[in-house]
Amino acid sequence: MSGQEYWNPVLETMPLERLKVLQFKKFKRILNWAYTRSKFHKALYDAAGLTPDDIRTFDDIKKIPKVEKSMMRGIQNKDPFPYGDALCVPLEEVSAFRQTSGTTGQPVYQPDTWQDWEWWSECWSFVLWAQGYRPKDRVFIPFGYNIFVAFWAGHYAAEKLGCEVVPGGVLDTQSRILKIQELNATAMMATPTYVLRMADVAKNKMGIDPATLSINKITCAGEPGAGIPSTKKRMEDAWGAKVFDHSGATEIGAWSYECNKQPCGMHVNEAMFLVEIEDLNTGEIIEEPGRKGKMIITALDRTAQPCIRFDSKDVIEWDSQPCSCGRSFRLIRGGVIGRADDITKVKGVLLSPGSIEEVVRSIDGLGDEFEVIVDKQGDIDRIKLKVELMPEVTKLSIETTLKDQLRLKTNLGYQIEYYDYGSLPRYEVKAKRFKDLRKKDIEKECRL
Amino acid sequence: MKNFSNLNEVNDKILKIKQLLTELETQAEQFPALSRNSKRALASIKMLELNLTDIVAFDLNDS
Repeated sequence: MSGQEYWNPVLETMPLERLKVLQFKKFKRILNWAYTRSKFHKALYDAAGLTPDDIRTFDDIKKIPKVEKSMMRGIQNKDPFPYGDALCVPLEEVSAFRQTSGTTGQPVYQPDTWQDWEWWSECWSFVLWAQGYRPKDRVFIPFGYNIFVAFWAGHYAAEKLGCEVVPGGVLDTQSRILKIQELNATAMMATPTYVLRMADVAKNKMGIDPATLSINKITCAGEPGAGIPSTKKRMEDAWGAKVFDHSGATEIGAWSYECNKQPCGMHVNEAMFLVEIEDLNTGEIIEEPGRKGKMIITALDRTAQPCIRFDSKDVIEWDSQPCSCGRSFRLIRGGVIGRADDITKVKGVLLSPGSIEEVVRSIDGLGDEFEVIVDKQGDIDRIKLKVELMPEVTKLSIETTLKDQLRLKTNLGYQIEYYDYGSLPRYEVKAKRFKDLRKKDIEKECRL
Repeated sequence: MKNFSNLNEVNDKILKIKQLLTELETQAEQFPALSRNSKRALASIKMLELNLTDIVAFDLNDS
């Protein structure tokens, strides 16, 4: 056991059977906490005919009703303002407000006590320590510090580790790059979209090769890009740095991370979270590796607004292989593969936007940006893919490869449109590159 | 800390700190600088509990 490798050498190497005992006992604790303090949770469990005492074994956990994001939105119309009756602490105990980005609808408000903020940064400490952050690091965070949780907890965790943190808040992209250069920052946290955007601006607008800067590790969050091999490679090549994936969410917390062995997957922090994978069709809980399903997650220690069996819609699968880092926290293969509500059927074939990204980013002659539009031509589904050609690259030189790879990875044919480099929209936080116009048509029909 | 072998001893220390801070917080209601900083310190102590006390309390230590 080495304290140099692990943030918590006891928990991170605890055998899975004992971790499950820990999870079960903590699950009972948070369930009881919520049941006795929140009207929302009590009503939910009462309606299912369950009390915390009915949860006697690990298998009983799946009897507990799931919580959907739409339910959280409904709660907010109730007292106490503005959070509603899922709140488990007096309002005066709440020390931080955050909200979801609203990517999938009306934003959800998230209250946290100071203890919850300590917990947030504790969870992030597992992440950063595993990725090699140490007190000698100077961490630059190019993030608009605001109502979105994003890298706030990463900031606090880096401070907790003893790193020096440089908040790159309201600076523009060029100023941020100059600040990294000026201070010899060694680490950075950003969305994959913004990591690539910064590299693009440095190289093409400022004449600075980002690989010559001092950044040696980058932690990504907010999007699945750092788990997509071709996108990760682009970022690592551009910056000359190791790029690590991490996944968290406002309503959940920082629940998984890639360690410095980069095992093509992320460890689930099984001491702080209980992750269940549910079959998309049957709803059964998947225990074995290699089967995709959606994640149902419990934050075992979050108190102000507990997250108990939250239906995250993230699609994941357990990896069959242990990680060479020695952690017993299980790996999810390839990180978060997609979202259950993003995976859509096109021409009868299941399509995940991540698989298109994997192809586009693997072709050197294409720029980082792309856009996918699914619509209908008459009764037939159509997928349009807009890509950018890098300067001096011709359509002819890459078209066959692109079409073949798309067919191979997605089993679908595309109508491809080529654009000059720099013409497609640029994003600084979360990108919106996938548009399914068929959904809008259906919504329109419903409204009529 | 050089030795993790006796988590019970470490846990005893965590619980002692917690007890002292809890007392300080409640005794210092008229002294916000003491009570609020104690409360904040207790949130940090909670992280020690999550990292270690739970292991002892749930009897999960194999040492």
